[in-house]
Amino acid sequence: MYKNCRFAFFALAAGFAALAPAAAATIEMDVNGLVCAFCAQGIEKKLRAFPATTDVVVSLEKKLVALSTKEGTDIDDEELRKALTDAGYAVKTIHRESESLDDVRQRIGSKP
Amino acid sequence: MLKQPAGVLAGVLLAFAQGGEAKPIAFANGTTVMAEYGAGTMEETQAFYAPYYWLSLGGGWLRTESDIDGRTREIRYLRANYLVQRWNLDDAQANVFAWGGLGSASGNTFRGNRLDRNVGLQVDYETRRIYAALMSDLHESSAYSQRIDTLQLGFAPYPHDYKDLATWFVLQARSYTGGLYRGVEWAALVRLFKGGAWVEAGVTGQGKPQLMMMFNF
Repeated sequence: MYKNCRFAFFALAAGFAALAPAAAATIEMDVNGLVCAFCAQGIEKKLRAFPATTDVVVSLEKKLVALSTKEGTDIDDEELRKALTDAGYAVKTIHRESESLDDVRQRIGSKP
Repeated sequence: MLKQPAGVLAGVLLAFAQGGEAKPIAFANGTTVMAEYGAGTMEETQAFYAPYYWLSLGGGWLRTESDIDGRTREIRYLRANYLVQRWNLDDAQANVFAWGGLGSASGNTFRGNRLDRNVGLQVDYETRRIYAALMSDLHESSAYSQRIDTLQLGFAPYPHDYKDLATWFVLQARSYTGGLYRGVEWAALVRLFKGGAWVEAGVTGQGKPQLMMMFNF
């Protein structure tokens, strides 16, 4: 009886985990030409215009642009490349990380 | 011309703070407004909107007053700025901008208004610690031809990051044609910017003030 209950509990938990929305994504982009904060404002403006975006971090030191998205949402790589290109910059790589944007902020020493 | 080393350094610092060396295109869907007071020889205000990162459209007002004989010209113009080429490098960015426009000019050495034609070119290179820019801006009409050439060299005492206050020391050399100034006007400038606000201030070798403010939004 106890074993059956325990099995049911784990099965239920696994089921809820499968049905739960995906965790919020953090997307990192390595960007070339990122040397001037005054000129880089367009990047933040462009990325915040995506409905899925919740926050944006720009680091000139790390040549990095990172953003977080709402739970269960993502932004297509092509759209991200276009946004950065429209802001006047060149994207080297785009990758997704499991850590939160706050953790990224701490890692790179960026101000909130 | 500056006569003392301290004056030369001050001139260099001021030159880098000149607004004329700022990029004529901020970013796509961005608006830039700028006002500059150039040591009494030139004053200029501009407003541009950039539908793309490589193009901005807008207008300005330029007033020049000769340091030699006091002749004045006042030009109101419409202008298009075009990013000819940009190099986004690992730790630097370089740009070539060109612009052209038409306007209406008046002055104290000719009657009425004249059609003003304006062309210009800017080449710049910057990292987080050094900055160099060369700009040439030509205005012509049936009554005058004047060109303002500006070279700026700057350095940052510390590398700023995105949300930091950026500080630059700039040395500027500027020459005028069209009877506006004899020789090269040196200036030393301090440039500060944070967010969308940019302020530059300094003095020329003759001790005249140079000021510039610019805002991107």
